[in-house]
Amino acid sequence: MPTFVHTEKCDGCKDGEVTVCMYICPHDLMTLDPVRMKAFNQEPEQCWECQCCVKACPQQAIEVRAYQDIVPMGGAVIPLRTDNAIMWTIKFRDGALKRFKFPVRTTPVGSIDVYGGKPEPGDINSPNLFTETGKTLPTIS
Amino acid sequence: MSEQGSFGNPEIVEISTDILIVGGGMASCGTAYEARRWAGDDVKITLVDKAALDRSGAVAQGLSAINTYLGENSEEDYCRMVSADLMGITRDDLVFDVGRHVDDSVHLFEEWGLPIWKDKETEGVALADGGKPVRSGRWQIMINGEGYKTIVGESAKKALGIDNIYERVFIIKLLLDANEENRVAGAVGVSVRENKIYIFKANATVIAAGGAVNVFRPRSIGEGMGRAWYPVWNAGSTYAMAIEAGAEMTMMENRFVPARFKDGYGPVGAWFLLFKAQATNGLGENYMTKNAHMLKDFAPYDTAAVVPTCLRNHAMLHEMKEGRGPIMMDTPTAMKKLAETMTPREVKHLEAEAWEDFLDMCIGQAGVWAGMNVRPEETPSELMPTEPYLLGSHSGCCGIWVSGPEDMNSPEEWRWGYNRMTTVKGLFSAGDGVGASGHKFSSGSHAEGRIVGKEMVRFCQDNAGYQAAFKDDISEIAAQVYQPVTNYLEHKDKTTAEDVNPHYITPKMFQMRLQKYMDEYVAGVSTYYMTNAKLLEVGLHHLEMLKEDSVNLRAKDLHELLRAWENYHRVRTAEAHLLHIQFREETRYPGFFYRSDFPDLDEENWKCFVNSRMDPETGEWSLFKREHVDMVEKHYG
Ligand SMILES: Cc1cc2nc3c(=O)[nH]c(=O)nc-3n(C[C@H](O)[C@H](O)[C@H](O)COP(=O)(O)OP(=O)(O)OC[C@H]3O[C@@H](n4cnc5c(N)ncnc54)[C@H](O)[C@@H]3O)c2cc1C
Ligand code: SF4
Ligand code: SF4
Repeated sequence: MPTFVHTEKCDGCKDGEVTVCMYICPHDLMTLDPVRMKAFNQEPEQCWECQCCVKACPQQAIEVRAYQDIVPMGGAVIPLRTDNAIMWTIKFRDGALKRFKFPVRTTPVGSIDVYGGKPEPGDINSPNLFTETGKTLPTIS
Repeated sequence: MSEQGSFGNPEIVEISTDILIVGGGMASCGTAYEARRWAGDDVKITLVDKAALDRSGAVAQGLSAINTYLGENSEEDYCRMVSADLMGITRDDLVFDVGRHVDDSVHLFEEWGLPIWKDKETEGVALADGGKPVRSGRWQIMINGEGYKTIVGESAKKALGIDNIYERVFIIKLLLDANEENRVAGAVGVSVRENKIYIFKANATVIAAGGAVNVFRPRSIGEGMGRAWYPVWNAGSTYAMAIEAGAEMTMMENRFVPARFKDGYGPVGAWFLLFKAQATNGLGENYMTKNAHMLKDFAPYDTAAVVPTCLRNHAMLHEMKEGRGPIMMDTPTAMKKLAETMTPREVKHLEAEAWEDFLDMCIGQAGVWAGMNVRPEETPSELMPTEPYLLGSHSGCCGIWVSGPEDMNSPEEWRWGYNRMTTVKGLFSAGDGVGASGHKFSSGSHAEGRIVGKEMVRFCQDNAGYQAAFKDDISEIAAQVYQPVTNYLEHKDKTTAEDVNPHYITPKMFQMRLQKYMDEYVAGVSTYYMTNAKLLEVGLHHLEMLKEDSVNLRAKDLHELLRAWENYHRVRTAEAHLLHIQFREETRYPGFFYRSDFPDLDEENWKCFVNSRMDPETGEWSLFKREHVDMVEKHYG
């Protein structure tokens, strides 16, 4: 199910700090054609269909079209993600639609206070992690 | 060397650090979090990821469950479950250690913002405060995990500070120390965005770059080649780099072949465990009950509380081979049965859960169902075992042989120093990298990464005066890692079409050759996972020539340079897998692979670890047995 980019929607992320799809794809697939200022998938047969790029594109310009060597034409699975929820639209080949919405996060993005309220690390020669300071850990006797 | 660097003449950037973390997945994020807390301000920690932390590794698209949360279960029972699923050969010290720390990581995830399902009575109460999770199995808990990696990634970025994180740098090789034998001193990598080679000098290094995918020819070889079950971007870097540094490996013969929904590779666990669906052969027969007698050959493991994954595959494959396919998951009957005791609203909720299981971690499967008009309440779906994967954190246990915790009564040869340190001084691993202790999953990999984080700080304290110096010359290393670019620039104009050229091989064709040989000789799907000594001998011969050809790989751009080295890592991993299969003269994991010349389980001779080491000087391999000990008493059934 490789990605494709709608020509008229992609603006090449020209106003952003990074080319978002290119930045996020875990497999280095999305790339920018600097002449047309449009992104494309440079190796469609390596796509994992993870939709990381689709979810992140600020223009919603990317979609996934099912692998044609496996799947009949016409279906689609389209996410719309905000910071705390994701909406999925599933379009069947026969035109039927299904929609689902799921939470993705209970705290604001960027709010993690990594060491706030946590114990000071204890003895580095003990098996305890720093959050387990003072605990007696089980062991195999 | 030019200031800026150009393609073919890259800039060399040298970075000195105390702790080097290779990979940015679940394990590495755990390492970053824990190490930063123990390290003093003068200890520098650097993390390098080939992708972007927010969405890198196996959890990139999310997960719908955390598969290891002990809760009310004991560490001993966890050791029993892991051992039984992996046919008796695991390290109880390592497994127990994950078990005693893992819940703490899960509590952190929840605190950071991961939505974890609770039962009705304790809705809204955090696990750490006594909230009761919704379990889909004895060890698994349900989550809304689409954003799992973005959350865990944020914690690691916050802990280390963004300036200490290098994204889009692919680590190719570990560098050994000039003065001290068998000691790692850093690593070399290439930027996938700029014409730069990175040389990292480090006191302690951890490699947690995931498992190995696309070593074998996948079932789908057109556009769908990327539709692997495990993440297509994890290329065996962990194993290959450890091997080349001379680390002792363990159980590299082990592999994982999950039975999944056909073509989309969507998860089946929720269907079996939560919805109680049945799978049958083409005649509608339950192949597990029908073939129960076959599994007796693999006693005592056949009577384990949960039948080992490989044995379930074994029964399924038998039906397929006998021509009684297709294997079908009867989703409509399962949904109907549940509807008998549920309100229509509850059924609708259930249907959403079934789809979420795909949408959270295998969106491609939802695409297959949508494109084929499959509605689980109306149409049953086909199951099929996938191509093989190598991994140490999911339901597999290949990986690196590491030192275990010191406070357990383990055999002395299982602990020689720092917890999770390999046999190479200063080199650690976690997650998919650590062998003989599967079933860590996302949470256990994070917890294991944390153990490593703390131990690396301890290592640095104990080796405070260390000055890294490399055995190999930096300009030679640089020339070597850019060889694929040199090959391309030197020869590209000699033919009218640059892809067909007698002087070099494209990374893509290199990968296809590897996959073909692994598939045909080393028990891939085309032989129904069957091999023998002769086939392995021929396969090894082909691999040798492929390895020779690796110096002729080409890279026409930085993207291909990444692919060239990924595929080199795949070949090294493949070689270890083949050699271990060759050494173990029995069939321990039927359903994952078979030795036709040794079709039986041989507890007397082979209930042991198979370990190996490649001498980094000579390239010579040695394979040997190490004694297996059950530290926790085991019983089956
Ligand atoms: C489809 C699927 C379903 C799963 N289901 C579950 C589940 O339900 N519950 C559960 O708990 N677990 C599940 N898992 C397992 C879980 O994701 C893994 O156990 C865990 O992610 C392993 O952690 P790791 O850190 O070892 O590897 P990963 O998380 O894969 O991280 C590897 C990291 O290394 C980087 N990297 C790779 N090579 C290099 C290199 N050469 N140089 C630099 N960086 C590199 C990658 O970019 C990545 O950042 C599932 C996994 C998959 C794929
Ligand atoms: S993220 Fe979207 S808008 Fe930006 S380059 Fe990619 S496809 Fe175009
Ligand atoms: S769907 Fe995933 S693998 Fe495919 S291009 Fe997008 S981010 Fe990359």
